[in-house]
Amino acid sequence: MSGIRTKKIGLLSTLILILPIFVLVLSLTIGSYPISPKNLLKTLASGIVSVFKHSPPSIYHDIVFRIRFPRLLLALAVGASLSVSGASLQAFFRNPLVNEYILGISSGSAFGAALSLVFLGKGFPVQLAAFFFAVIAVLAVFLIAGSSDAPIVSLLLTGVIVSAFFSALLALVEYFANPYALQALFFWLMGSLSLATWREISLSLPLMVLGIGVLILLRWRMNVLSMSSDEARALGIDVRRENMLVIVATALTTASATAVAGIISWVGLIVPHMVRMMVGVDNRRVIPLSAAFGASFLMLADDITRGLTSFEIPIGIFTNIIGIPLFIFLLKKSAKVWL
Amino acid sequence: MSVRVEKLEFEYEDFSLRIENLQFESSRITSIVGPNGSGKTTFLKCIGGLLPIKKKSIFIDGQDISEMKGNKRARLIGYVPQEHGSLFNFSARDFVLMGRAPYHSPFSLPSDKDIQIAEEALEFVGLAAQSEKPYFYFSSGERRLVLIARSLAQRTDLLLLDEPTTFLDPKHEIEIMELVKKLAEEKKKTILITLHSLELALQYSDDMVFMKTGRVFAFGKPEEILTESLLKNIYDIEMKIVGYDGKKFILRSLSAKKN
Repeated sequence: MSGIRTKKIGLLSTLILILPIFVLVLSLTIGSYPISPKNLLKTLASGIVSVFKHSPPSIYHDIVFRIRFPRLLLALAVGASLSVSGASLQAFFRNPLVNEYILGISSGSAFGAALSLVFLGKGFPVQLAAFFFAVIAVLAVFLIAGSSDAPIVSLLLTGVIVSAFFSALLALVEYFANPYALQALFFWLMGSLSLATWREISLSLPLMVLGIGVLILLRWRMNVLSMSSDEARALGIDVRRENMLVIVATALTTASATAVAGIISWVGLIVPHMVRMMVGVDNRRVIPLSAAFGASFLMLADDITRGLTSFEIPIGIFTNIIGIPLFIFLLKKSAKVWL
Repeated sequence: MSVRVEKLEFEYEDFSLRIENLQFESSRITSIVGPNGSGKTTFLKCIGGLLPIKKKSIFIDGQDISEMKGNKRARLIGYVPQEHGSLFNFSARDFVLMGRAPYHSPFSLPSDKDIQIAEEALEFVGLAAQSEKPYFYFSSGERRLVLIARSLAQRTDLLLLDEPTTFLDPKHEIEIMELVKKLAEEKKKTILITLHSLELALQYSDDMVFMKTGRVFAFGKPEEILTESLLKNIYDIEMKIVGYDGKKFILRSLSAKKN
């Protein structure tokens, strides 16, 4: 019986791992200007060949390579970033309710974005301000909690407090904002991938890839880090140093994702849990599969925002509208995987 | 391997542990007994390197453990906690596999050999057939076995067990203690174990450490050090040592308050 289960999990893991490729190809066909799969393939082929032949780009070429591809790449990276960070932090805090924003990143970056949109104008880009204040928030959590060796509870509590503080600052900025700035801010706060251009991506993508890479490399260690700190120490872990490594990597990943895409909440909570419900709790599977599943999930959510209406609906709304029912479905179907 | 304790001192806010000189040898089971709050677990954690201790107070084969790196220490000392504090329901195999962590860098994955070692450890505790079963689906007695298997996968010469029989029924108590005995005899491990049950301590220990208020009151072979006055001194109640079937048993007076 156990053999069958292992095989089933292995098959499911492979499917989840290659899912982003199919979703990416499917998503390239979706949008306000539909492209048939046949034309997409032609465009992709010519795109590769044009590097050598300098053939004139068609309209399809522009849509696929200048508009859709960067945007989907961003969706892929942001989805993977948020999910991997969420999965790691849940293991690290030994708490299934923790999400990727627990260390104050969302409210820090929201305040930064607000400051930039309301007061600083074009001089200081939203992304930069959001990233800067996300980092400030994480640093504040660290300094207040003492050190990375601080007990888990004090880190959690400090994260909540720092989030509350930045939320108050955000409210203050909102109060003084003019209606247009407020509308832009509102849109940003619900998350959007519409800012995706090659320029934005070239800045944020390397940071996300770096953070995800480190967390994926740490995947087996994450099992040991999810034990009590006495147990982790007895297993030879340098708890202080390795906790620091996890926090820095998750903060980097989440802050860069949030800076370009705004606050897309709940992805980092529901995706890792869905993955655990499908393949179990071993982080050797959970971390990389969260990346793949989160990437596919966010691309699909973005397809809906682009395909459903001619105007943009913030993606954060759809991640919840699709995500929560899917989550409930899996919760009902699967065995309990945590205590 | 031998463990030497020299002038160990450790202080909490209102508690201090002071232990002058003790030595533990391989293939021997030493049980640490004493009332709640006597410092048994603290002592065990100090030896396990889980608490920050002063230099030159605990030596393993002459090496100061306070100077060892974590992974080196974890290849010498296995620690089995009273309870396991995770939330995630790892399978027994994945759980035991974590015992191989001290042999790896943070970024590496367990090899096939590690998996084999984990399976062997599960085999040794008699759970090989259930290696896929998630930890929290085991009974509390079996969970202790999984915890012990994890420390066996560490392949350490010194094994510390913190109250491994607490909350278990008499049969499972014996099962755990027989396993511990087997580890001392077959694997030649140096074993330190904290126990509440004097009955078990008496039956299974080669040496006993009697502790109270962070101090050692007596250390040695049970037949040499165990007296009724020592028990009265340690536990503050009258106890009788009686012989039955060639073995010694400890009976306690049930009207403790009157004494």
